[in-house]
Amino acid sequence: MTEFHSPSRREYLLKQREVYGRHIFGVFPAQYPRELLWTMNILPVEIWDPPLDLSYASAHLQSYICSIVRLGLEFIVKGKGDILDGFLFPHTCDSIQNLSSIVNNYLKPGKPCYFFYHPKWPYRESSHRFYIEQLRDLAAQLGDQFGALDYSRFKRYVEKGEKVTSVMRDLYSLRASGGLSASNGEFYRTIRQAEFLHPDDLIPLLEKFLEGSQGTPRSETSVILSGVLPNPSEILALLDELKIRVGDDDLLACGRRYLVPPNQTQDPFESLAERYFYMPPCTTRNSPIKERLEHLINKVEGSNAQGVIFWIVKFCEPELFDMPHLIEGLKKKGLPTLVIDVEPNQELTGQLTTRIEAFGEMIR
Amino acid sequence: MGKKRRLRKESASLGPPLTSNRSLKELMATHYLLSRYAQGAMPVAWVTSGAPVEILRPFDFYTFYPENHGALCGAQKMGPELCAEAEEHGYHQDLCSYARIDLGHYFSGKTPVGRLPKPDLLFAANNICQTVVYWYKALAEYWKIPLILFDTPYNFGEISEVDISYMVRQLEEMIPLLEQISKIRFRYKRFRKIVGIAREASLTWGEVLSTMKARPSPMTIFDAFIHLAPIVSLRGLPAALEHYQGLLAELKDRVAQGVGAIKNERWRLMWDNIAIWYKMRDFSNLFAERGMNFVTATYTNAWTETIGYLDETKPFESMAKAYSLVILNNNLDHRLQLMERLIQEFQVDGLVIHSARSCKPYSVGQYDLRRLITERLQIPTVVIEADITDSRAYSEEQAMVRLEAFFETLEG
Repeated sequence: MTEFHSPSRREYLLKQREVYGRHIFGVFPAQYPRELLWTMNILPVEIWDPPLDLSYASAHLQSYICSIVRLGLEFIVKGKGDILDGFLFPHTCDSIQNLSSIVNNYLKPGKPCYFFYHPKWPYRESSHRFYIEQLRDLAAQLGDQFGALDYSRFKRYVEKGEKVTSVMRDLYSLRASGGLSASNGEFYRTIRQAEFLHPDDLIPLLEKFLEGSQGTPRSETSVILSGVLPNPSEILALLDELKIRVGDDDLLACGRRYLVPPNQTQDPFESLAERYFYMPPCTTRNSPIKERLEHLINKVEGSNAQGVIFWIVKFCEPELFDMPHLIEGLKKKGLPTLVIDVEPNQELTGQLTTRIEAFGEMIR
Repeated sequence: MGKKRRLRKESASLGPPLTSNRSLKELMATHYLLSRYAQGAMPVAWVTSGAPVEILRPFDFYTFYPENHGALCGAQKMGPELCAEAEEHGYHQDLCSYARIDLGHYFSGKTPVGRLPKPDLLFAANNICQTVVYWYKALAEYWKIPLILFDTPYNFGEISEVDISYMVRQLEEMIPLLEQISKIRFRYKRFRKIVGIAREASLTWGEVLSTMKARPSPMTIFDAFIHLAPIVSLRGLPAALEHYQGLLAELKDRVAQGVGAIKNERWRLMWDNIAIWYKMRDFSNLFAERGMNFVTATYTNAWTETIGYLDETKPFESMAKAYSLVILNNNLDHRLQLMERLIQEFQVDGLVIHSARSCKPYSVGQYDLRRLITERLQIPTVVIEADITDSRAYSEEQAMVRLEAFFETLEG
């Protein structure tokens, strides 16, 4: 097991290459079989919100395209991906779909680009079969570059993925029941390390955090976060300052991908398929709105939350389409909601601060 | 609700209007009129423009196309009013305006065609965008009716056998559901015949578009945008085929007689993306007055480009190919090659790109397409930032500044 020293992301990745011979892949959001990549000695590093100023991306993308896509492209065009050995684009939305082609067909970054299509709801027998076939196809494509898939190694990495999920579930469960003393900022800073750490480093980090964070929460007032990702982090700091704890989340980058029920399937391909089809309802998989609403209400009830904050990235169509129904459904249950429509990495404005403060006052 | 028709002046630079415009108007008016009586008499399906409608026809579904209705609302300048209705109910102004118009209709009942039939089924394919699925999911929730999705894997590279068999299996899985909803048993022979009719109509539409290779072109792309309606809304029905046969005969006659759609065709242009429906008339006049005629568009071409794959002897497999290889479900290299081919075949002198706020799969990548086409083909290009139906996202001043610069470059 490697020792985790909390280095910078770049230092960590360089070490992964030098010491363990791992290949580093830049992976765009959101749903992909990372266990398969780990097996092929590829370390996925997710590209959600690199801390960059947008300049070059504007020559390629319109102003009405979301910042996650624009920041991802900026990252590539500015050459920030020099450390990477390839890219993987999961089929998350129309904008990421076309971004994959801009990069692969037009920008030609000199690194291999792969694509992963996951079937969309409504799920049928054909969806399950197709998902397995997509996994096998990706394994074969990666195998051409990095060597054939070792089945027993694959099984081991699927087990490690299960372990990551299991600790995540424990963390979320502890937080929901009011047994976690960590601040909102500490919680998300820690779990977002899962976007780039190897499981051998991630599992002990999460376990250590779980062990060290048990205790009385800092506040009784709690909310659910729903949306894409917890950035700008100043909002988390503001919630901490206002003594509002996040009881649970329905964030694409966080809870939606990690809170999968345990599965005992022996075959690693089948196991990953199970994980995909049993993930919490998500816009990127076309889950029905009714399921999303039920899921949110369960989260509210399970964490004794007093309200829901929709933390939306500007221009994010998948999330924006579901919101009117979700807000209406929550309102019927007497649950207050707040919609914040922000760019990742933006500074917290006075107006936004006031809105969050007012919401905090209302739910107390 | 209806709007009082205003008399609008046609530019003196335009040639004689097509006589087929009248038959088109009758055909589409009948389609909308009949739709009012379909409800209760036969199962009604609301369908996305890229969905494999042939599979619905053997079950006698009356098919209605919200995107076509959205275009109609846009052309009648009702876009902002209907979009605002959806926005009042929480739908963000950044969302697709076809969707907002449709949801605005749901909340208000407003439409320029009197009344729309309530659907029993929603049938979507994500080969044109994921947006239609988000939109139809919302409708399914409001109407409490089933939604069937034809999930078409994006062609990042080449289409694979795995993709084809996934789509074939989905079509097979739909049949029992459609039987259940329509209470009609699947008729395979009829289905094959419908696939044949759809193929013929689409190929005839392709021939219609090909007449614009002639100099002068017998019609403009603005005519084609209007005559697109039957291949979108009535595909698989004999009426669409009959309409295009009539239109083709008229266009061939015009070509033989040297009758152009504009009087002095000096420059030939290509349009990229969906029309700006509320600017159709203005743009038609503006370009015609400068001797500029749009002779091809990636948008109108989309309903003929892949239809050659349709084969009544292998209906499921051929439908999988025909519907998943369409322009918006294909990588941008494919789009670049297609545009280069069309530019050469139609002897295009300049390219106008509509960056449509509503349509991400059409618009993301356009800036690079423009750069590459300019570099490779050395033709003037311009990007207009606008929207398909929501005129609030269009700045006349900004568009005209860009177009004037484009005109200067083109005219040298």
